[in-house]
Amino acid sequence: MYLNDFEYFAPKTCGEILDLVGRLGTKAKILAGGTDLLIMMKEKMLKPDYLIDINDVQELKGISYEPGKGAVIGTATKISEIEHSDLIREKYFALSQAAGELGSAQVRAMATLGGNSCHASPAAETPPPLVALGAKVVVKSIAGEKELPLEEFILGNRKTTLAEGEILTKFLLPEPAPRSASRYSYIGLRDAMEIDAVNMAVNLALEDDGRTVKSLRMVMGSVSPVPLIAVEAQGILIGQVFNQELMEKAAQAASVEANPISDIRASAEYRREMVAVLARRLLQQAFNAASGTKEGNW
Amino acid sequence: MKQLITLEINNRVYEIPVDPKDLLVDVVRKKVALTGTKKGCGQGDCGACTVLIDGEPVLSCITLAIACQGKKITTIEGLVAEDGKLHPIQQSFVDHGAVQCGFCTPGMILSSKSLLDKNSRPSEEEIKRGIAGNICRCTGYKRIVAAISAAGETISSEGVK
Ligand SMILES: Cc1cc2nc3c(=O)[nH]c(=O)nc-3n(C[C@H](O)[C@H](O)[C@H](O)COP(=O)(O)OP(=O)(O)OC[C@H]3O[C@@H](n4cnc5c(N)ncnc54)[C@H](O)[C@@H]3O)c2cc1C
Repeated sequence: MYLNDFEYFAPKTCGEILDLVGRLGTKAKILAGGTDLLIMMKEKMLKPDYLIDINDVQELKGISYEPGKGAVIGTATKISEIEHSDLIREKYFALSQAAGELGSAQVRAMATLGGNSCHASPAAETPPPLVALGAKVVVKSIAGEKELPLEEFILGNRKTTLAEGEILTKFLLPEPAPRSASRYSYIGLRDAMEIDAVNMAVNLALEDDGRTVKSLRMVMGSVSPVPLIAVEAQGILIGQVFNQELMEKAAQAASVEANPISDIRASAEYRREMVAVLARRLLQQAFNAASGTKEGNW
Repeated sequence: MKQLITLEINNRVYEIPVDPKDLLVDVVRKKVALTGTKKGCGQGDCGACTVLIDGEPVLSCITLAIACQGKKITTIEGLVAEDGKLHPIQQSFVDHGAVQCGFCTPGMILSSKSLLDKNSRPSEEEIKRGIAGNICRCTGYKRIVAAISAAGETISSEGVK
């Protein structure tokens, strides 16, 4: 379990990183928390000639917020910082929940938000809530920068749109709608340090009447190569007065939309069942929170 | 190619020649000869290699030594006082019989320290969450949880760190 030889760089600015990735191309890898990268290197699945450590680059770290505009989270922000952020808990609760479920205290102290999306594991914790919350990513290269929705950035199992010379720099989260709430949950074999069999995030906003669904995003993880938006299920509830019957229909629709495989963690059939379970649970919780029905933050 | 790096471990500064690929766990054990830090699964799952970096628990088996320059590294050896007196968490592990084979103990204690530094009166659930990344195979969690809880009480009443 040793690593191959490589040259190590620890740039201090984003400009220096872009120069390095521009010059070194595909022989270089970005090192963020290393919790995926170093394991892949130990297993000889990757043998980069150069590692570019981005942890000393202040402009890629931290959480900022502007009322009315939303939050900006730097790619190199640690999962533990997100987990403990009062702002994220208050405004983007589903992301706060998912951050708290990722790995162990050690993994959360090391891993970054950007690393989780760039590694693009179908079972990853944070992409479903980020997509549900409408997050965009900013991708930069020497040539310039572009913004795209996270669901367009993640292309498949360990595949993103990142091209040679490009890096992810930050996540942009829009201001949550009034009377909205987001929730995240997962199903796994044990409570901690588990790779999710299914996970899901729901972000629901109500009209002024506090009962009609104005907008809804339901995003499932681990049931498709990418975070899957349950378009059919959303359509059943949007524009309607929230009720148990429609919620049940939406849960069933999400279960049909899911495209799971059977593997060591769960069978496809079990995953489909669990999608419906999570959908019911999360829709009800999000509705209660958005309509002001008291149920605490959980 | 070896490079000379400076690491601050348990408040002592070491100048060590390393390769970029050298992992913190190997440098701490083989070059600094602090063998309290254990090497277990090598993949971040078991937590035996846990050390503190700037107070945060970190898996030294998936951390590059070269990336730790300018940071404060604490290993289990750094918890004992100058006069040899055990840290309250260490003492509590001894008192509660929370050590069997001892392999998970250094990592377990460092995870506990990071938890208690933030919250010296954690609930049982919070303790379990705090040590979820440290695996004990002697089935000793019950006593470990009791030891951490009692250490928290000692720390908050005596105000030690
Ligand atoms: C014990 C253990 C438990 C885990 N449990 C979970 C879990 O419960 N849930 C979960 O989702 N994940 C889990 N993981 C996986 C991992 O911790 C996460 O995916 C983490 O968020 C990865 O972030 P990182 O900063 O460590 O990424 P790194 O390993 O540093 O990087 C991952 C990949 O992304 C690239 N990359 C990183 N940042 C950028 C950037 N800004 N621009 C371009 N490319 C970039 C790297 O080059 C690399 O290819 C676990 C890992 C371990 C070791």
